[in-house]
Amino acid sequence: MKTELEAIQVAAQEALKDVKTAEGLESLRIEYFGRRGKLTDVMKGMGQLSKEERPVIGKLANEVRASLTDAFEATKNALESEHQEEQLIAESVDITLPGRKPAYGKAHPVMQTLERIESIFTQMGFQVVTGPEVETEHYNFDALNTPPDHPARDLHDTFYLTDGHLLRTHTSPVQIRTMENQKPPVRIIVPGKAYRVDYDVSHTPMFHQVEGLLVDKHVTFSELKGVLVSFARQMFGDQTLMRFRPHFFPFTEPSAEADITCTVCRGEGCRSCGHTGWIEILGAGAVDPEVFRAVNYNPEEVTGFAFGMGVERIANLQFRIPDIRTFYENDLRFLRQF
Amino acid sequence: MNVTLNWLKTYIDFEFSAKELADRLTMLGIEVESIKELGTSLEGVVVGKVDSIRPHPNADKLVLCQVDIGDEDTLQIVCGAPNAREGMFAPVATIGTDLPNGISIKRAKLRGEESHGMLCSEKELGISEDAAGLMELSSDIPIGIGFTDALGLDDTIFELEITPNRPDCLSLIGVAREVRAETGNDIKLPEVNIQEDDSDICEITSVTIDAPDLCPRYAARVIRGVKIGESPDWLKQRLESVGIGAINNIVDITNFVLMEYGQPLHAFDYNKLGENRIVVRQAAEGEQITTLDEEERKLTPDMLVIADAERPVALAGIMGGNDSEITDTTCDVLLESAYFDPSSVRATAKALGLNTEASYRFERGTDPENVVPAIDRATQLIVELAGGTVCKGIIDVYPGKCELLQLQLRPERVNFILGTELDADEIRQILSRLGFGVDTLQQQDNIYQVTVPTFRRDITREIDLIEEIARVHGYDNIPTSLPKGDIPIPTTNVLDEVRRRIKHYLLGSGMMEAINYSFCHPNCFDKIRLTVDNPLRDALKLQNPLSPEMSILRTTLLPSLLENAQHNHNHQIDTIALFEISTVFLNGNEPARIAGILAGEIGGGVYGNPYHPPDFFDIKGLVEGALETCGIADWKYAKTDEPTFHPGRNAEVLLGDQRIGILGEAHPEVLENYELPYKVYLFELDLEKLAYVADFSKRFEPIPVYPSVLRDLAIVVDQDMPSDMPMGIIYSTGGDLVESVRLFDVYVGDQVQEGKKSLAYTITYHSTTETLTDKEVNDLHENVIKQLNQELGAELRM
Repeated sequence: MKTELEAIQVAAQEALKDVKTAEGLESLRIEYFGRRGKLTDVMKGMGQLSKEERPVIGKLANEVRASLTDAFEATKNALESEHQEEQLIAESVDITLPGRKPAYGKAHPVMQTLERIESIFTQMGFQVVTGPEVETEHYNFDALNTPPDHPARDLHDTFYLTDGHLLRTHTSPVQIRTMENQKPPVRIIVPGKAYRVDYDVSHTPMFHQVEGLLVDKHVTFSELKGVLVSFARQMFGDQTLMRFRPHFFPFTEPSAEADITCTVCRGEGCRSCGHTGWIEILGAGAVDPEVFRAVNYNPEEVTGFAFGMGVERIANLQFRIPDIRTFYENDLRFLRQF
Repeated sequence: MNVTLNWLKTYIDFEFSAKELADRLTMLGIEVESIKELGTSLEGVVVGKVDSIRPHPNADKLVLCQVDIGDEDTLQIVCGAPNAREGMFAPVATIGTDLPNGISIKRAKLRGEESHGMLCSEKELGISEDAAGLMELSSDIPIGIGFTDALGLDDTIFELEITPNRPDCLSLIGVAREVRAETGNDIKLPEVNIQEDDSDICEITSVTIDAPDLCPRYAARVIRGVKIGESPDWLKQRLESVGIGAINNIVDITNFVLMEYGQPLHAFDYNKLGENRIVVRQAAEGEQITTLDEEERKLTPDMLVIADAERPVALAGIMGGNDSEITDTTCDVLLESAYFDPSSVRATAKALGLNTEASYRFERGTDPENVVPAIDRATQLIVELAGGTVCKGIIDVYPGKCELLQLQLRPERVNFILGTELDADEIRQILSRLGFGVDTLQQQDNIYQVTVPTFRRDITREIDLIEEIARVHGYDNIPTSLPKGDIPIPTTNVLDEVRRRIKHYLLGSGMMEAINYSFCHPNCFDKIRLTVDNPLRDALKLQNPLSPEMSILRTTLLPSLLENAQHNHNHQIDTIALFEISTVFLNGNEPARIAGILAGEIGGGVYGNPYHPPDFFDIKGLVEGALETCGIADWKYAKTDEPTFHPGRNAEVLLGDQRIGILGEAHPEVLENYELPYKVYLFELDLEKLAYVADFSKRFEPIPVYPSVLRDLAIVVDQDMPSDMPMGIIYSTGGDLVESVRLFDVYVGDQVQEGKKSLAYTITYHSTTETLTDKEVNDLHENVIKQLNQELGAELRM
């Protein structure tokens, strides 16, 4: 019997080597372990063994059974993983088929720029405030030290409404409205739309501005420079230099225009910057005492600075759109680019 | 305004290169917008003399010139100019020259005859527009020298941007004063010596000022026996270099002095003045004048004119009259130099739409103390260049002479404003260089008494002086620091938050953000089919619109978005999903709106996610998501009769009984009006109303500990029954134990009776206090079915 068991073990292990499929394994399992299987038959014969033989053969039989069970299990696992492998290969996809992007939208490029500007100034403690776009002569000009016959009014080609109002030519009126309603310190930025009668590749009749105002007991021109230099570095990169040139605005004194190193040539001089290496990006200055008087602030008790920049212009330093009117066509081929 | 380097150097010495000068001026606030080198492009052009001319054997209109350019051999040059003649001096572009007009001179054969260069016209050299013939040069110029040397053309033109507060810089001397501020060098004013004859000017003319407020100063001189003619080259060239065309010697001189002093002058033909005298007065009602540009202009009494005894002969400070202008036959000249009130000149120029070099300066403010120096300078030049004699004396009526303005300046205030540490001496020095008088008023208080020169009428306050100091000290030399004051406590803004949340939600849903002009065409209301009495038609109108398309202000965002869809469709873009956030202009307010459009195709348009047309429920879902991001619940829908929309596919969004927005499918006629071939879905929400009810607070709700049980339910109901009716009954019947109900299918077709539809729901039953048993759920579900049947006649669909 012992020989028989050993023969079964060898034969079964040999047979397992040839098994290629789950079905083959199953029929082999039945051949050995089935009700009439070879191993079962041998085990059935155990009863006829002598008392002495029984434990010895019994032990051997159990060992054979266990080792064959393991062998069957191993073969089964091998077959399964082989099968799974085949299945996975059969499930291969064409990895060049398009991915299914979830739909996603994009903010308008001017808004992207505006939001960036807002976030830089809010980090410096400026609060965002807004005001009306339909304005009066008073808020748009007079209170900003620009009386009716002032030549500076020529700089702003104004849209007038038939009811005597006008469309604000800058967001500066909100300076006045804010100071009328708030005591110093004031530290605001005013994003918003402004309007001028102008329509060509570099002008749209509606555009966006960000105005800034800081008023306190002792605000210096030096601090104006500090805030704007800090803005320029964050907006255009740490290497950006800024220079201030004297300029004229009726509502600031001293007034300045600020240039940054050309974003195209990095200051070397190129066509974009008229070979100067500088690009003008904003106007600024210390708040004119007349403006303080218009809002009943005492210019001997407070000082301040204001600045204003065109968002389209700043956006376009990055995007370089040849005709900025493209911003407002809302062509999806355009909007998707940003 | 243009100035040139050479011309500027006649008034002040400096060593700056053109580039340095441009930088210095720019950093002083006189922005140099462009620098143009004159003459550098004319390298290779030399002075030649036409030795002999013979006909071209093969061309009637061409001749062969032998031209001497100082070399051993003369050059043969083929020429077609009508004025070519033997002995003539003219510019010759030699082989290898690149002319400003792009022509490169090469050895050429013209109709078989060799040509070794080109004889040039002024236009070919880029000097003027004169292309009539060869430029004739003076015969005393050495043959063969460089053309630009010969004419002193090597120069640099600076185009300056002069801000409106600095009329004093609208002249060469003015710009020279800025250079003085930079260098400290003295200004070299022209030396003026006038030889007068014996006849007293007062005996042959007079000046009366009837409106001294508008004309504080008027001076006149008379020069008799002048000979009108062409100006000499140097004068023509000076004027041309700054962009002023030469006319005749007298007019050229007045323009020259205008550029030199910034003082506009006018020359009258003395003999054409009625009674040979001048009256400065306001125009009479109905008076007219024909100005130099031959336009007839109607005058009003607020306009200041220069008149003779009978009629206006000039618009004061703007333009002369046609009748009294200098002509070839003029013999005696009355020269005017005056100071006019800036506002008056500005108003008149604006009313007449007439802007001139003179009005530009007067309306910004000229220097009344320049009146006499300028007229004397011009008088001297007239005698030099046009002959004649000067009558004795000058008429100088000066009713408006002012005291010099004195200002007090606190040096410590300078540093307080600028954040600098300038000492009093530096401040004094800067002001002196700018031409201000500086005296110490109160030694102990360290206050300066500053006298403002008459040419700086923009300086009226201490702060103006501080700007001057900052400017000359250099903005770049002011230290940079950060604000030291307290940061004000910001207030919160719900509207901003609503805007931000909805925007992020829509972007996340695949909508692109649009920005449109606030303007629109008045016909847009018809295009979206608003009823005639719709209050949205009450739009603000522009007085001066750019075009009809931009002539009113928007009261709704929908037309703009429809136009965007049209634009994109016209460019074959049909995956339209856009939104816009903007204010509209309504009833004197500027409420904020958000609107969106879905049209054409949505979806990825790729394998497995094909394009499909949007429908009502896409736009509805967007709106619902938007409302949810603002913590808004409990809104209701109701159908409206808004003609913009499909009558059966629109809904207003209601909170209580207040409309906060509208959504739906655009009416087919609207689609026709915007030439859109497919269905379009729109929404527009009132952001202010949303902000009013928005609730951003969030509170934790316990995560269910007991399992929930899902049961599906399909019922057949009448086809026109709104789907939220069964939904409501399920909720009310199930009470707290119904966690959620989801409609997952709607079916109309063969499988159900006609006029009926099948609605399939998944109900989630759940208790927060126990695990529901099968029996409990079954009973509940049965009860729901029963209620649906009783209340709605809903049949269970098997």
